[in-house]
Amino acid sequence: MRTTLLIACGNPLRRDDGVAHEVLRIIARTPCRELRSVQQLVPELAAEIAGFERVVFLDADVRSMHPAIEPVRTAMPGSPLTHAANPAEIVAISRSLFGFNGEALVCRIPARDFSPGESLAPDQLQTMYEAASELERLLEHDL
Amino acid sequence: MSSRLMIEPVTRIEGHAKISIQLNDAGEVESSRFHITEFRGFEKICEGRPFEEMPGLMSRVCGICPVSHVLASSKAGDMLLGVSIPVAAEKQRRLVNYAQLLQSHALSFFHLSAPDLLLGMDSPPATRNILGLLERDPDFLRRGIRLRQFGQRVIELVGGKRVHPGWSGPGGVHRRFTTVQRDEILTWIPEALASVTAALDRLKPILDSFREEIANMGNFPSLFLATVNPDGGLEYYDGKIRIVDGKGNIFADDLDPARYFDWLGEASEDFTFVKFPFYRPLGYPGGFYRVGPLARLNVARFAGTERADRELREFKERSAGAVCESFHYHLARLVEMLHAVERIEQLMSDADLFGDSTQARASLNRREGIGSCEAPRGTLFHHYQVDANGLMIKANLLIATGQNNHAMNLAVDQAARHFLGRIVPGIRPDEGILNRLEAAIRCFDPCLSCSTHALGQMPLIVEWIAADGSVLGQIARRS
Repeated sequence: MRTTLLIACGNPLRRDDGVAHEVLRIIARTPCRELRSVQQLVPELAAEIAGFERVVFLDADVRSMHPAIEPVRTAMPGSPLTHAANPAEIVAISRSLFGFNGEALVCRIPARDFSPGESLAPDQLQTMYEAASELERLLEHDL
Repeated sequence: MSSRLMIEPVTRIEGHAKISIQLNDAGEVESSRFHITEFRGFEKICEGRPFEEMPGLMSRVCGICPVSHVLASSKAGDMLLGVSIPVAAEKQRRLVNYAQLLQSHALSFFHLSAPDLLLGMDSPPATRNILGLLERDPDFLRRGIRLRQFGQRVIELVGGKRVHPGWSGPGGVHRRFTTVQRDEILTWIPEALASVTAALDRLKPILDSFREEIANMGNFPSLFLATVNPDGGLEYYDGKIRIVDGKGNIFADDLDPARYFDWLGEASEDFTFVKFPFYRPLGYPGGFYRVGPLARLNVARFAGTERADRELREFKERSAGAVCESFHYHLARLVEMLHAVERIEQLMSDADLFGDSTQARASLNRREGIGSCEAPRGTLFHHYQVDANGLMIKANLLIATGQNNHAMNLAVDQAARHFLGRIVPGIRPDEGILNRLEAAIRCFDPCLSCSTHALGQMPLIVEWIAADGSVLGQIARRS
């Protein structure tokens, strides 16, 4: 059994920015999956992913046209601008400090409307289910 | 020709802000300002809402210190109900407040300011960050991450969620504290104590290498305001307000936070959205004051826990009067973290914490409620007025960062005059010098409420703008 931590990131009060949380709601809970919703990535997640064999970061992406799952890129230089982190930083810190040696993926979910509000844009529903299907395909052999 | 230097946004703080530096015809610093450029309007949003909803709404003011807003709001709600809450509820609130102090200070010290302190103010900006620390001192960074994780875990265990916990409301709290929670919290204590002690041992010896920064990044006498317990010791949840002056003398004492409007006024300026609170008897701006870790350590006579008391005595030896150097907010933060861990440990053996009764039940009994507590960045006040149905008519929030607003402006002005001096048109100021202007602000760890996502990349742009609006020079730094 392969253990996976799915981390949905985004602000659900900024419409499509919260799409990752909606995708996470569709994903079935199983003993080998832990689901986590956060507004933004913070450093202590580096300690928390260490106990898993795979981590998948789900996030809205204004540049994507279709849902896509891809490896987390090698750590980029950290942003000097904010206390929020990106998946590459979290994974790099986790590998270095907490012994994470699993697979790290990011699921990019296309998003367009980041205005204040709780509902997704109407055309996001299809995207949301596509992303969930992609993830289920990835995870189906874990059990 | 006069011109202006802009630093926008200020980095490694919680929220969005900019610094502007007005230069005179000779290129010398004439004045500097810290602009907080975001506006959220929470006081207006809550009008018409039932007061019972306020802790949940106010929690959303901030993703870093939501517990402070929940507690101040809950206490204002307690006052509206006219109740004294069960002791178990009060102890839970105290516990979560210490946990928040710990996680928030850990973020400020280890993640936001440690790159300056350990890697150097002049180190390359590309590596002057958390990944730079990862290379230079992985054990230090690991400890910082774990400390914040501990604070967040306590909040989650007791409050149900790490961010925006909704367990507290008017009349008490909605959950019981259990021995299972206690047992998990106790497993963290030895490591947490060791980590804060290690950080203190790491910071104190290197302070000498920052003499110039200590002397010129917010070093001035001021009033200091904080809550104290009845014996004059550190207090974070409930107590009277004490103010000391720059010489460390008690300037005002035994002030009732529920009457804050009698002795605190709020001024506004046209260059920032944040207000400028002041001590009313001295007027504005003469009555400006500082709050937060530095103020609390200057105001309190003692900490009340063994290790923190030892550190507090050493801290107070840094000055014959109050410690006036804003740079020492960093050190004060670590002392407070040590105190918070000790208090959390003490609470684990406090039988009151496990009480069954956690909620005082009552209906609306008053039309005005005021709650205050010590947030990580300083004293926080929530002031509500409601109608006969308990619907909010008016809210006033006096936020810690606002109370440090004037001091932050003075700090950046002092740093600009000292480190920038005179700028020759066409020649870029050294990046390390500009970083010192930002670092002057970071001492205060201002929290500008940044729970929303930023889209794309945020550039840091430094511009020289002439009086006629033309751009004389520009430095751009991108994430």
